[in-house]
Amino acid sequence: MGLALFYILIFPGFLFLGFLSLAFEFIDRKLYARLQNRVGPPWYQPLADLIKLAAKETVVPREAESRLFRAIPSFAMAATAAAFLYIPIWGKTSLFPFDSDLIVILYFLTIPTLTFFLAGWFSSSLYAEIGCIRAMTQFFAYEVPLYMSLLGPAMLAGTWSVSGITEFYSSNPALALCNLPGLIVAVFATQGKLERVPFDIPDAETEIVGGTFTEYSGRFLALFRMTIDAELVVASALIAAVFLPFFIPASPVFGFILFLIKVFIVVFLLALMRTALARLRIDQMVGFCWRILAPLSLLQVLIDLLVRGVLVS
Amino acid sequence: MIVDRIINWARLKSPWIIHFNSGACNACDIEVLAALTPRYDVERFGVQLKGSPRHADVLVCSGPVTIQQRERLITIYEQMMEPKFVIAVGTCACSAGVFNGCYCVEGGVDTAIPVNAYIPGCPVKPEAIIDGVVKLLGSLKD
Ligand code: SF4
Repeated sequence: MGLALFYILIFPGFLFLGFLSLAFEFIDRKLYARLQNRVGPPWYQPLADLIKLAAKETVVPREAESRLFRAIPSFAMAATAAAFLYIPIWGKTSLFPFDSDLIVILYFLTIPTLTFFLAGWFSSSLYAEIGCIRAMTQFFAYEVPLYMSLLGPAMLAGTWSVSGITEFYSSNPALALCNLPGLIVAVFATQGKLERVPFDIPDAETEIVGGTFTEYSGRFLALFRMTIDAELVVASALIAAVFLPFFIPASPVFGFILFLIKVFIVVFLLALMRTALARLRIDQMVGFCWRILAPLSLLQVLIDLLVRGVLVS
Repeated sequence: MIVDRIINWARLKSPWIIHFNSGACNACDIEVLAALTPRYDVERFGVQLKGSPRHADVLVCSGPVTIQQRERLITIYEQMMEPKFVIAVGTCACSAGVFNGCYCVEGGVDTAIPVNAYIPGCPVKPEAIIDGVVKLLGSLKD
């Protein structure tokens, strides 16, 4: 019981995840700044933002559904933190591996998007409603390619558990190369999931004020920001575990350092995309996901099926 | 005590701004936007541009207050969360400038809402805006 609480609250639960997500928010913003040839924020910036928001006045609009408005941010954070428990951090297996935890992680990662939708919906503000409908439209576009791109590697490994997938590919690293199209799809879809440029359509501040979070302020906004940062870490860690399962050493310390390096690589790709591209329109985004990402992920499934056929026979 | 100090530190390090045009000739607005470009890199001071008044700490207001914009300015100001600060950017925002006495103009920004810092100039240079923001933050230290 005590140990379980320790796992959930401290390592690798809330505290550790919070620390990691602040660190990676800083890394992401610093990379973004350096790629734009500027100095960028100091290292304590995400922490200062968080404390400031938490100490600010918090208002629940009169028109909003008060109880849900307050509860939704906690759901978002809890779901993301729960997903993190099932991702391998220091080695080949996660803390509580079980069969088919990949699906559970994906479902947990879906919850934040749904809460963004509900948050916008229950704030009863015009801009928030436009934002949340856009978030939902976008969700239907990137979610299918994302699931399919993760389905391929899982089929090749013959298991639905992330730990099993990591185990399989680290013993046959050459096979991980088959998953290149899936990696591309997953990185793009993650960018959509995190609602970052070029897919920041739900909170396009030049068009619809603050998007889904227009009415959120103070500590609720701080929770949402934490959730998005944590999602960045969890999604990057998932991609790292499924697509980059190379050179995992036996020692947990080196394993952990390697984990950080891999997450950094994925975050770098995401930051590069954020710098290089501009925001799309919602129809262009949906078109891109269904016309390019979905066929690419189907191709991935096909490749993995063929390779598995060759392996088994 | 120490909690207050930490909160104050966080506030100084992360001023999020929102930009509002209460009737400027647009030159000041262009300069505000120029100050937000990567060339001046205000993210060094933690400044970020926010779309929603609910998220912002500092209202950067340019231009004289026209009769039409007055109500909107007050609404935006009231939608911001405490603690909040207002910076008047440009001579017009400070005192209505060349538009003073115009039939549709009420006066500077301080005729409608309380102002914490005045940055004169027609239009103000981006350097002056950044200097003003940093000075405002410095004055909040104690
Ligand atoms: S201060 Fe000068 S540039 Fe700025 S709004 Fe007034 S007239 Fe325009």
